[in-house]
Amino acid sequence: MSADDSVLVRCPSCGENAPPRARFCENCGTPLGAGEADPTAPSEVTLDAAPTVLDLDPSTGEASARRPCAACGGTIADDGYCAECGAPGQSERDHFEERPAGWVAGVCDRGVRHARNEDAMALAASGTFAALVVCDGVSSAPDSDVASLAASRAARDVLLAYGPEGSSPVEGATSRRIAGWTDAMVAASRAAGQAVRGAAEQLAATKGTNVAEDPPSCTFVAAVVDHDLVVAGWLGDSRVYWLPDAGPAEQLSVDDSWAQEMIAAGVPRAQAETSPQAHAITRWLGPDAPDTDARCAATVPSEPGWLLVCSDGLWNYCSDAHEMGDLVRRFAASGDPHTASAALVRWANAQGGRDNITAALARVATTVTEQR
Amino acid sequence: MAEFSAEVFQNEFLSDGATDVHAIVSVTCAGAGAAGAVGVTAGASATTDAVGAGQVAEIVAVDTSGSMQGRNMEAAKHAAAVAVDQIPDGTLFAIIGGSHVATRIFPYPNARVPMVAMEPGARNEAKRAISTMSASGGTAISTWLRLADDLFATVPAAQKHLILLTDGKNESEPSMHLDRMIADVTGHFQCDARGVGDRWVVEELRKISTALLGTVDLIARPEDIAEDFAALVRKSMARGVASVDLRVWAPQGSQVLFVKQVAPEVDDLTGRRTEVNPLTSAYPTGAWADETRDYHVAVRVASKPVGSEQLAARVQVAVGGEVQASGLVKAKWSDDSTLTARISPEVAHYTGQAELASAIQEGLAAKASGDEATATVKLGRAVQLAAETGNEEATSRLRKIVEVENEEEGTVRLKRNTAKLDEMALDTASTKTTRVRRA
Repeated sequence: MSADDSVLVRCPSCGENAPPRARFCENCGTPLGAGEADPTAPSEVTLDAAPTVLDLDPSTGEASARRPCAACGGTIADDGYCAECGAPGQSERDHFEERPAGWVAGVCDRGVRHARNEDAMALAASGTFAALVVCDGVSSAPDSDVASLAASRAARDVLLAYGPEGSSPVEGATSRRIAGWTDAMVAASRAAGQAVRGAAEQLAATKGTNVAEDPPSCTFVAAVVDHDLVVAGWLGDSRVYWLPDAGPAEQLSVDDSWAQEMIAAGVPRAQAETSPQAHAITRWLGPDAPDTDARCAATVPSEPGWLLVCSDGLWNYCSDAHEMGDLVRRFAASGDPHTASAALVRWANAQGGRDNITAALARVATTVTEQR
Repeated sequence: MAEFSAEVFQNEFLSDGATDVHAIVSVTCAGAGAAGAVGVTAGASATTDAVGAGQVAEIVAVDTSGSMQGRNMEAAKHAAAVAVDQIPDGTLFAIIGGSHVATRIFPYPNARVPMVAMEPGARNEAKRAISTMSASGGTAISTWLRLADDLFATVPAAQKHLILLTDGKNESEPSMHLDRMIADVTGHFQCDARGVGDRWVVEELRKISTALLGTVDLIARPEDIAEDFAALVRKSMARGVASVDLRVWAPQGSQVLFVKQVAPEVDDLTGRRTEVNPLTSAYPTGAWADETRDYHVAVRVASKPVGSEQLAARVQVAVGGEVQASGLVKAKWSDDSTLTARISPEVAHYTGQAELASAIQEGLAAKASGDEATATVKLGRAVQLAAETGNEEATSRLRKIVEVENEEEGTVRLKRNTAKLDEMALDTASTKTTRVRRA
């Protein structure tokens, strides 16, 4: 980055002028200074995504013999199966959990039916701020697992940059912050889209796959908790639910899907969501995506509750917001988002686990002190 | 160094709700070396990987009861001498003569050492001792096994092998005595049992050979004994790996339904289980040469949701407590019937061969007890199975006992005036299996 903080930075990708010290281009989401910056310089985002329960290395999706069996807690033998119950050992990519703060946690799991976990999740939290990103790789395209992981992490990093400890914090009154977070959400989705394109190009270069023919793609959903404010952004059919302890539960995101279009046209929800094309999404992230700007919604909670960010591997078994609220409250009785998200994933697996499952929860209190 | 490998044949796909997993595990040993190799026998070079000189013990026990008088006795003496010729130098050996009592023929009864290492002088003396054997008395095989066990117990050999020859029924003692003795000596040595003529009882010798990890066979003509003994000694000496265990690990909460050797012979190992740890069982398989043995393993696991995968068994080869090879038996639940309906050709083949063996044995037992209806049904089923599994040897043996009306449907008539020897040949060979033809 330029040593002179007063100089505007020009985005190498789209040519847009970015404010000083900006880490990402607000127009296209390209990380700024990543290429030409001194790699030894300390990152401007000092807030770490840690502490996570189990982080994963995107370069090694290999089975880990060290991780205990997910089914019974036994040890995984050298042959890749549990020495006690015979369940196959899971790779880090197949099942991972993050808990960046005591009030924010999530679980991302392969499910039962799919051979790979193409869902991805990236969480961050600090103080009264949290960013939760979930991307669901499109199964028909190869390497969507790589794309979704790159996308979710890129988006999380952008949201962090706009967080209270980031390079360009969103500040001010609530209405100003809603506008600020809506811009940040769009920057995050663009960065995620850029990351998918980058992953696709890299895969094409190393594997020789024709990206244009079957490009890796994924959905995008993110939620930010900023003090008293919740902002959601999405492309596709991964969802954000706001589930207050007493008041009516609501789905903040609106699916970009064929089913949703049918519902909008008057077809009953149950019928639309069970039709064969129900899961055809109309917006996504990928080299062939027409646009990568997240649609956004914001809410200012008036009472404590749970913020749920999830993939369709979970909500397929419990689509209705009211029922989802009951389900989450059932598993979240202890108040711990980590045990609750793990319980939600187990529950979805018990329903058949037909898709990859991601559930990320944040416990949103109405006062600052409750979250500290 | 001997190398073991294990190959698994199965259809790992189970339909929704299915619990039983079947697999054929083919275990191959290569580079076994020779047992007690000291460079005298052809091709047996003194290698460190072989069991090693002095660590192999061989005993030949020959029936000297009154019934052996004549051609059988002379043939048996000749055969024992041929066996002595085949035993390589350095191998500890002894010769037993058995009637209602057992006698050590060589080393001479007055010798201080119970077994001696083979060398040219001992070989000549042993043959001289064998030539003095004569037939008299009854038959109490438990006493032969006891003496063999006593002799083997005095030597530190890792590999102990007995060749036992009889021509008659174990008539001088209650069968309980023999059963108890078999139980007492099980695990101490291996035994190949041979019957000459048609007056011995296949079931009696099979009890011995099965428990003592050997084979049973019929020698129809006395003049063939020598050749058979020579082959047995050669086979025993080719077994360079002394004591091999088949281990089966099955997951918590599962049940091992059975573990059967299915090739080259059917041998149910299930009852010989010993526990390695709560999830792992060991089944002794004796000494190994360069060879392949196939095992049928069946495990019952709890059914899991469609899409789940789990390991149903680890089938391992252990030598001296060390696992040398491992085969994985898997279960994957699927709702795709094109995947789940397929039966592994190997599992189907050996299931048929095992059923063939019991159909023959049960059919002959029914025939012997005069239950012709059962015998006709069982032997008919055997004819059908032999044809289905391409076991031509069994087919031709069966055709000496039954008149086949329809091979495919397994309809037969019992032949009248069949030769006792043909029935015994069918019985002893019933456990021999043909290998599945692999594409």
